[in-house]
Amino acid sequence: MAKGFTLWFTGLSGSGKSALAERVRDILLERGMKVEVLDGDIVRQNLSKGLGFSKEDRDTNIRRIGFVCNLLTRNEVVAIAAAISPYKAIRDENRELIGRFVEVYCKCDLDTLKARDPKGLYEKALRGEIKNFTGVSDPYEAPENAEVVVDTASEEVDAAVEKIIGKLEEMRYVPAGDGRGYTEEEEEGIKARLRDLGYI
Amino acid sequence: MRFLRRRRKRRVCVVGLDGVPFGLLRRLGDESVMPRVAGMVASGDLKQMRAALPPVSSVSWSSFMTGANPGEHGIFGFTDVAPESYQLRFPTFDDLATPTLWDRLGESGRRCAIINQPATYPARAVPGVLVSGFVALQLAKSVWPKEHLGALEGMGYRIDVDSQKGREDPDGLLDDLEATLETRRRAAEYFWGRESWDYFQVVVTGTDRLHHFLWEAVVREDDPRHERAMAYYRAVDGFIGEMWDRFHEGSPGDGEGEGFVLLSDHGFAGVRKDVRLNAWLRENGYLDYEKEGPGSVAEITADTRAFALDPGRIHLNVRGRFGRGCVAPEEARGLRDELAAGLRELRFEGEGVITHIFPREEIFRGQKAELGPDLVLLSRPGFDLKGTTKHPAVFADTHFQGMHTWDDAFVWSGLPVADEPEIADLAGGIVGWLAG
Ligand SMILES: Nc1ncnc2c1ncn2[C@@H]1O[C@H](COP(=O)(O)OP(=O)(O)OP(=O)(O)O)[C@@H](O)[C@H]1O
Ligand SMILES: [Mg+2]
Repeated sequence: MAKGFTLWFTGLSGSGKSALAERVRDILLERGMKVEVLDGDIVRQNLSKGLGFSKEDRDTNIRRIGFVCNLLTRNEVVAIAAAISPYKAIRDENRELIGRFVEVYCKCDLDTLKARDPKGLYEKALRGEIKNFTGVSDPYEAPENAEVVVDTASEEVDAAVEKIIGKLEEMRYVPAGDGRGYTEEEEEGIKARLRDLGYI
Repeated sequence: MRFLRRRRKRRVCVVGLDGVPFGLLRRLGDESVMPRVAGMVASGDLKQMRAALPPVSSVSWSSFMTGANPGEHGIFGFTDVAPESYQLRFPTFDDLATPTLWDRLGESGRRCAIINQPATYPARAVPGVLVSGFVALQLAKSVWPKEHLGALEGMGYRIDVDSQKGREDPDGLLDDLEATLETRRRAAEYFWGRESWDYFQVVVTGTDRLHHFLWEAVVREDDPRHERAMAYYRAVDGFIGEMWDRFHEGSPGDGEGEGFVLLSDHGFAGVRKDVRLNAWLRENGYLDYEKEGPGSVAEITADTRAFALDPGRIHLNVRGRFGRGCVAPEEARGLRDELAAGLRELRFEGEGVITHIFPREEIFRGQKAELGPDLVLLSRPGFDLKGTTKHPAVFADTHFQGMHTWDDAFVWSGLPVADEPEIADLAGGIVGWLAG
């Protein structure tokens, strides 16, 4: 079972990619898997240092992340990518390259994003101070066949994490978590039910 | 260029009726208590079917949902004993060792909606939605994905009736049965439209509860609650009809019933006496307890050679298999034959009690087969085999009116089914047909 795969988060800035990636990473680590997160912000400080936000540079950035994810995946590591990755064609290129590829679309409406604006970027972008800002002045192509869609405007972080982990379990990419058996209290409940029906 | 006419997308809808015997269903169909079932029987193929062994819901439904033998899926009853302490343990959905048919459907991208499937607690990820059935306790742990929990709570969804009423308040039980069926109906309606599914399944477990407590009311016209029992069956028939109509909506005519399956997981019969196998083992010198009034088989003495679990499971206390095992492995076969011979002679007022004695290797195959009981017994209808340790007498009266039977479950299938089917046969046909 412990084979690698790539979990690819895509969505607008502030939609929750990094936040969810971290939570999912922690759970997978607890379950004994090897995990690396490639976060867009960090990648742009090293692997993609110097690249800007033109379509060409964005594509290069996403291809680089895909390249590293592929290396990790084939070495039985879970690679988690958290970058806006606005263009469908490049995401699909990575999907094609990697194979074991699970796309998570972090959906979130603009009003919510503006209200969150943890980095103050929307405010600047809306004032026109940032050119090519995805979702405001640059395109974002939403996935049509993402394995998981989380609407972070309406779904709590916990629910979104559960949905992602559930999907991975369902695909048998990760083993089921422990502690699903009965608690002592539940065992009493079960005994009572079985007794009522004459089974014990 | 030629265009092929697009075939209608294949879908399967399964309605389960827990504990409804073949003969009863046919009779209620004939008597037009169940007109919708009567219509299905007239136009289709109602077959008698064998349940899994032993014939209890957790085993039989596990065999249905995996298509596997208990020796493969590893569920042999509602209870097991821990090999070291002999304490009773209660297998959960997590103990199921083989993939379910919906796991297999999910691998080819197909989606399922499953409501009240026994032996799936706690609920876990499935390709689609799952609402666990008996022995589910908390609704919050019975629903996957969780996002549907609020809706189910909102509709007052009930996992089960309050079986305590079965003994103390039969009319209350009947009220409960109706109310619970109604919430099952609402849940089916809710998921039907909301999920895009290829496989839909809903199980009615109230039939089993009714039979446990009020079998007489079902089969005897002079029983004071007969009319109410029939009213319940009318409601069940209405529910089956509703599922059928929904399934055929928008595509009347050709292929009526194709993909529709109605089945039970075991049969039922009236009860005369409980038969306590541990009391028989004790009377015959195979078993003893550390003290009087033992709470469970955990209190057997170190020289106990065999013990029984519900319903007719006999385990030999073999060295290596159990912590305090005292039977040498090479002596197990002889002991088993001796027990079988003795049990065959068990009589009540001259009448033989045991009808079948299956040795493990005859009925269990697979990686978990060794964990199964050494013998599985079946009894003549009227004699309910029990694994209790609490009472010293072999035969006893019971407040239950019904008991499970093995070879008279039923299946009505709009898919090809083998001639003398057993419940584990169905999954393969369903998966194959949906993939076709
Ligand atoms: N349901 C939710 N899922 C994820 N994050 C949420 C959710 N609800 C609120 N948040 C908050 O929204 C913010 C999302 O920021 P985060 O850095 O994860 O976004 P991002 O998609 O990584 O953005 P960027 O592309 O700019 O890196 C966090 O502060 C997080 O706590
Ligand atoms: Mg981020």
